[in-house]
Amino acid sequence: MTNVSVLRTVGLSIAAACAVVAAVAVQAATPPDFTGVWTNAGAPGLGGATRAAPAALPLKPEAKARIDAYAALVTPTGETPGGWCLGTGMPGSMLGSGGYPMEIVQRPDQITIIYEAHGETRHVYFGARNAAQADRVPGRNGYSSGRWEGDTLVVETDNVVDQVDQRWAHSDEAKIVERYHLEPKPDEQGRRVLVADMVMTDPKFYTAPVIAQKKWAQVPNGRLLPYECAEENWTKRLEELAKKAGVPAP
Amino acid sequence: MKRLLKILAPALLLGFAVAAAAHHSAVQFDFTKQVPIKGKVTHFRAINPHMQLTLLVSDKKGPHEIVFEGHSTNNMYRNGYRKGMISEGDMITVNVAPLKDGSDGGYVVSAETAKGEFFGARSTRAIDAAKAQAIAEGQSRTLKASALVE
Repeated sequence: MTNVSVLRTVGLSIAAACAVVAAVAVQAATPPDFTGVWTNAGAPGLGGATRAAPAALPLKPEAKARIDAYAALVTPTGETPGGWCLGTGMPGSMLGSGGYPMEIVQRPDQITIIYEAHGETRHVYFGARNAAQADRVPGRNGYSSGRWEGDTLVVETDNVVDQVDQRWAHSDEAKIVERYHLEPKPDEQGRRVLVADMVMTDPKFYTAPVIAQKKWAQVPNGRLLPYECAEENWTKRLEELAKKAGVPAP
Repeated sequence: MKRLLKILAPALLLGFAVAAAAHHSAVQFDFTKQVPIKGKVTHFRAINPHMQLTLLVSDKKGPHEIVFEGHSTNNMYRNGYRKGMISEGDMITVNVAPLKDGSDGGYVVSAETAKGEFFGARSTRAIDAAKAQAIAEGQSRTLKASALVE
């Protein structure tokens, strides 16, 4: 082999190696796309957290007392937030939202998660899109900030409101960290599976972190259905007003 | 006199019906059973979080109304219900998970309309329970396969 052909061979090899390195770098820098509609993975009908809630959450006595008092109050009439058209709130929403599907809309600077039940919506902000701490409005689903660790989406949520009316009760000091990753292989139905691991810490309510996991399976060409809920109550109110006024209901 | 049933729910692991768990507890219903009840619709609303249905039935108690609860509109649509399938005045048959205390009422799992249309799912738990009972009694029955819908 002549010197020129040797040099050519070496040059081509170096170029090929650089291309491989560049491709790997690009792949690592491009996170997976979770955009789409997701439903319960696993056994049919398994809503909520894939792992069953622990037999006893590590509640502090004062927190348990508050939860028990709430249960005693609503059990006789069977009322629930959902029955009054309120969403579950974090972390109940991300752990299954009652078994209804969810939709993820992913952009580089923001991920929007819509849970079909009650249309609960979460916004996960990245980098400069994040609001200053003082500007974050408390709510049932709190404020979420995201980042990528390789192919894992990490979401940190705070600014949740105090809630005793969900299975995963918590105070307003709860911090929730979620880690989302795709399973390497599709499920037996050929669907991508998204695993959500959740850790909630709450010094007011719990003596130890609360850990749970939810698995979602993607629905090809899926669509969420609208979840109208307050219509009935509004209709009844109009009927009351009309009856009081002695006029027909509109 | 109509009696409203207000139900509080713990987790519900019935086929497609788990979405109900977000709102009410299913603890009052026996989802291992399915009871067919035929009657005339006197009230029906396909709404969230739960469908409302009242049937005028005629049984050993004579004519009387029974109030039922059922799935959300969303779950009903996912299981074949479409607008207009049920109207007041229709004679329909509902398959319900009965109340554990034996009182009138129940949770509508599926329905067969006056026109012969069907929506809902046949609970595998009810079918499994029926199979187990049939085996225990030494009977041989042919049970229809359930049609679970996501």
